[in-house]
Amino acid sequence: MKKIVILILCVAAFSSCKKEVKKKVEQESQLKETVENIEEKQNENVRSGYKIGDEATDFKLIGTDDKKHSLADFPEAKGFIVIFSCNHCPYVVAYEDRIVALDAKYKPLGYPVIAINPNDASIQPEDGLQEMKIRAQEKGFTFPYLADEGQKIFPQYGATRTPHVFILQKENNKNIVKYIGAIDDNFEDANDVTEKYVESAVDALLNGEEIKQKETVAIGCTIKVKK
Amino acid sequence: MQKVLISLLLCLILVGCGQKQEKQEQIISTETSYSSAFKKFMQQDDKLYVVNFWATWCVPCVKELPNFMKVDEEFKNEKNFKMILISMDKMADFESKVKTFVKENNITPDVYLLSDNKKMNEWIPKIHPNWSGAIPATAMYKNGKRVFFHEGTLTYEELKTIVNNHL
Repeated sequence: MKKIVILILCVAAFSSCKKEVKKKVEQESQLKETVENIEEKQNENVRSGYKIGDEATDFKLIGTDDKKHSLADFPEAKGFIVIFSCNHCPYVVAYEDRIVALDAKYKPLGYPVIAINPNDASIQPEDGLQEMKIRAQEKGFTFPYLADEGQKIFPQYGATRTPHVFILQKENNKNIVKYIGAIDDNFEDANDVTEKYVESAVDALLNGEEIKQKETVAIGCTIKVKK
Repeated sequence: MQKVLISLLLCLILVGCGQKQEKQEQIISTETSYSSAFKKFMQQDDKLYVVNFWATWCVPCVKELPNFMKVDEEFKNEKNFKMILISMDKMADFESKVKTFVKENNITPDVYLLSDNKKMNEWIPKIHPNWSGAIPATAMYKNGKRVFFHEGTLTYEELKTIVNNHL
């Protein structure tokens, strides 16, 4: 009897051990695959999202005024300064006054600012619609501040960070991407800016000239995606 | 009694020596030009440099740092391994935020704050042509050449596997 018990115990121990080994092997192969994907990604030459010259999609997104907004709501506009923005990011906060100034300068010239918050509020609670309303009021936003609910719009544009600017120009009723990148070259000090990328780009469009720097990069906050 | 004293002394000497043998002092400093910062990890010395771009205000960066510290702890005694953190914090926050954060969170690798912020559009593509500038981002260099780049976070297991792949 004793022998049988011992035997059963041994078998049980062995089989549970086997399961664990199997699980470990599975985990390891999964890790290997993930790492391979990560390593491969760095060799890809194409960034996802729009390139200069692509047609940008319109959208219908809720704003801090509780109304839905679209690019089609601006029949008079010559184009748009679309800025993927948010509440929480210190880089955005550093630019808030400059974003308001951009709208004040270029809305009358036909290029209004449209701000879109791409972050998911369940990951970044400070970026919820209620918090957006408070921020818009505090800072006196003169432009639509929209929530990318469902996170469908920012991946199409290829926005990866906040702030991330896309300047669009209307051509034959299409919104064509003309500039992708940063607002200017100094987030920390607005008084020490050498290159005003967005202003130069819109000025060039207004004058019918070629934009000198069509794409720029800058440090920013990652977009918080719902898991 | 004498025996106890001797063993106590021995213990003290051992502990003292142990501390002395610890690796070089950690560097926490600002770099006013990206080229001088890049020199820290682009060296012809067969070492694998793991370079993490982060900031104290960046929530996903701060969340992944413990994974990096765990890997650094395991590899830092290897001759051919060095981890470097490049902070994207403001120059004005160096003393108050960055140094405090490093102390409070037992951040062991060298930390450089890159204050060359007007040159972002110049140096970001030099790290990787596809880097959009979102942080965290991690690059690895060996003999002045980039051998790895990733925009986004890494888990402990992922980072460890990648380090082993390139070491």
